[in-house]
Amino acid sequence: MIVSHNEIVTMVNKAFLGMQREVGEADLIAAMVAELQMAGLDGILHFNNASPYILSERDAPIDIIYQSENEVRLDLHGSSLVCHLPAVMDYVVEKMGSRNHFKVYLQNCHNRWLAYSELAKLAAKGIACLAKWDNGRAPKHTIFTLDKRFVYPDLYFFDEAQANYNTNDMIIELSTDNFDIEQDIQYFDHKVSTDELYATHQRAWKEGIYVDDGQWATLKKSAAAILVENSEASSKGAGGI
Amino acid sequence: MEHTLPNNDKLDAVSFRTPEVVMHSERLGAMHQTRISFVRTLLRKIDKEHWTLSKHLWDLDNDGYGQVIYRLQTPEHVYHLVVFCNQIADEERNDRVIAQKWDVTFALVYGEIGDELLANLKANVPLQEAGRNSNMVMVLARANKSVRVFDHIVSSLAEGQQPDLDVLAQVGYILRTTAVYGNGKFGIYDFKPLDHSEDFNQSFRAQMCAVYLIREFSLDWVDYLAQKKGGAKAVSLHPEIKQYLGIGNATGLGMAPYLINHPCVVDQWLSAREGALQAVLVCDIEDDRNNTKIQHLSNLMKRAIQHFSEVVTINEPQILLNNTVVDELNKLQNNFMSQIEGCVTWADFLQRQAHLSFESQEVITSCLMELYPELVDAFAGQANADETMSLPGGKVVQDLIDVLEARYQWAISIDFEAEDNVYWFWYRSEDKEEPRMGVRGQERGDDKEFLLDIGRQANTLYLALQQADPQQLLSEFILKQPKYRSIARRVWTMGHKKMGDIQINVLQKTALPMHLLRCKLSMFGATKFDPRSDRWVRVTLFQGAPLFAEVHSNEWLFPLLPNLSVPKRGLTHDCIA
Repeated sequence: MIVSHNEIVTMVNKAFLGMQREVGEADLIAAMVAELQMAGLDGILHFNNASPYILSERDAPIDIIYQSENEVRLDLHGSSLVCHLPAVMDYVVEKMGSRNHFKVYLQNCHNRWLAYSELAKLAAKGIACLAKWDNGRAPKHTIFTLDKRFVYPDLYFFDEAQANYNTNDMIIELSTDNFDIEQDIQYFDHKVSTDELYATHQRAWKEGIYVDDGQWATLKKSAAAILVENSEASSKGAGGI
Repeated sequence: MEHTLPNNDKLDAVSFRTPEVVMHSERLGAMHQTRISFVRTLLRKIDKEHWTLSKHLWDLDNDGYGQVIYRLQTPEHVYHLVVFCNQIADEERNDRVIAQKWDVTFALVYGEIGDELLANLKANVPLQEAGRNSNMVMVLARANKSVRVFDHIVSSLAEGQQPDLDVLAQVGYILRTTAVYGNGKFGIYDFKPLDHSEDFNQSFRAQMCAVYLIREFSLDWVDYLAQKKGGAKAVSLHPEIKQYLGIGNATGLGMAPYLINHPCVVDQWLSAREGALQAVLVCDIEDDRNNTKIQHLSNLMKRAIQHFSEVVTINEPQILLNNTVVDELNKLQNNFMSQIEGCVTWADFLQRQAHLSFESQEVITSCLMELYPELVDAFAGQANADETMSLPGGKVVQDLIDVLEARYQWAISIDFEAEDNVYWFWYRSEDKEEPRMGVRGQERGDDKEFLLDIGRQANTLYLALQQADPQQLLSEFILKQPKYRSIARRVWTMGHKKMGDIQINVLQKTALPMHLLRCKLSMFGATKFDPRSDRWVRVTLFQGAPLFAEVHSNEWLFPLLPNLSVPKRGLTHDCIA
């Protein structure tokens, strides 16, 4: 089915609020999902997959395992990335300061696809980004690379597991210079280019956004968790007519 | 009650009035239409760009049921208003969002209407929320008849008579909209891609346009039905009565969450309004050598007095407020030149009226803004806002404490342990997601509370920040206490805006959601505020506005009942340019 951007934002917002988490910002998470969906990258599917994790997580802060001048290692204790990434990005951009390179290791986290829009925002700050993560199923390795002049990244997919295969972590590198990724991408199997993402995005604004019916139904069900059962007393709570 | 207008030395020169004055909920609840309200801006645009409107299809049966299409041509594009008129039983006519049938449903559609699209609209528009609409639809809406006015007008015209003005004055419209959806709701077109539209790139302009066009339909409809009913005996509705009739609107609690959840938009609207007012207030009265402005202001206030004398509402508090406006403005009018005397600028004049009720003060600000269209109208294009709320780098905990102490005193000074300060909780009902209020501890649903408690969140943040090292980096504080990030970025962002957050604790026992509704409706340009309880209100839009065929850029503040026995009187709109 075709839905609007505002419908996705509204529905995800409600669904997240229905999970009654202290940590995590519904408006930002909704934007993460909507951006990914508009890019044709199954944002709603990823959010639906994330929902059980988000529901079962503890509302605990993440731990700094290690930090130096140029890098930081954070443990998310098995949490979904969506609840913590905006705070992490504020922190690492501040730590990066005037350095031209900074590296972030995120350990024990889920739903890394949903980092897409938060990472894409870096270009507006004049920061290039290279992010990598592994999946249990194909594509087993994904590289996200953002040229600091562009709004949309290039995405590289690898069917086979690469070195240091680890399906629970994510590496994010920031730089004031664009990354040289020749070595990283030499064995990729599939690519979605910045131009393709731009075109998909533009088409989504114009024609509406395609969403799988089943995934939309799942999201709607999650969003209904915020609703309170109707009653005669409740009916008067709107002021009556 | 304090009504002073302190000088605003903490902000840049946007306004004489501080956020504490402007964003006070009671003052927001006293706002009126101004010339930068959206209905006014739209009509000036239609006039200046020579938009045209024609009937594309008129397919109604003798009882007025069927479909109608109007074609709207702008310099940029073509749009259509597609209207479906349905027969419904009286008991099915309900203004709340929980209604399932309406007298009239309609859509403003981008581009041409082909057979396939029309069939799709016919199948879905009458269903409203339950339908799935094409993304060629920009606005989806519905309206109910004021049965009394509708029947009275049609039967009078059919008999060759004009309707009784006293009946019309009770209501002020033929059709009353109960929801006007835009921005992607139920599958329709998003607002964001309209960035590039010269026609509809401003907040709520498409919705206001759809309402303006349905007003045209409501007037054509009664003429058509009168003719069908009365044949040769029938007459058309008098043009001045047509101009007097607007479109009603019933608005409930659903509008309040919008204002809380879109603080950047609200700040933008109020900042633009205050900017426009300031442009007027700094003008020297002495420059008005022929007293043209003074006379114009006096005429506008006379009209306001007449308007508030004519407004009919069943709401006792509003009746008292309207009577107060009439009394206060009459006194001011009787003493007008001495009130002007000694004032160098209009700011001095307004300052002199600071003892009046908020309602009267806001009538005066609306009138003052009419005096200098050349200064005020430039602010009309500032209705859109970047809604990003973020935390900056390089700031420490103390920086955020400073913002809270400077701009959120209204929140950090509240004792949220006191039951009365957390009396209400807000929630959405299963019944079409209608927003409702419940009493905490007495009604079910507080475990699913709708987070509109900005004051309480800011208060909690303030307490948490006070426990932290004041020199700790804010980004570190948030990384360790991420649950505060949402309210922290709101406080930081809004605390650096000109007007900032609305200063209301919506949980408080005596908090009136009506104030929030009134703020937004007045930005739209509503008139005739008729609260039906503390949680929903009926208003009119475009009441007193010129018809499409006679659209002009002159002002039409405060609609007046026409006097059909006198050709033109001193207080009619045409006489005051």
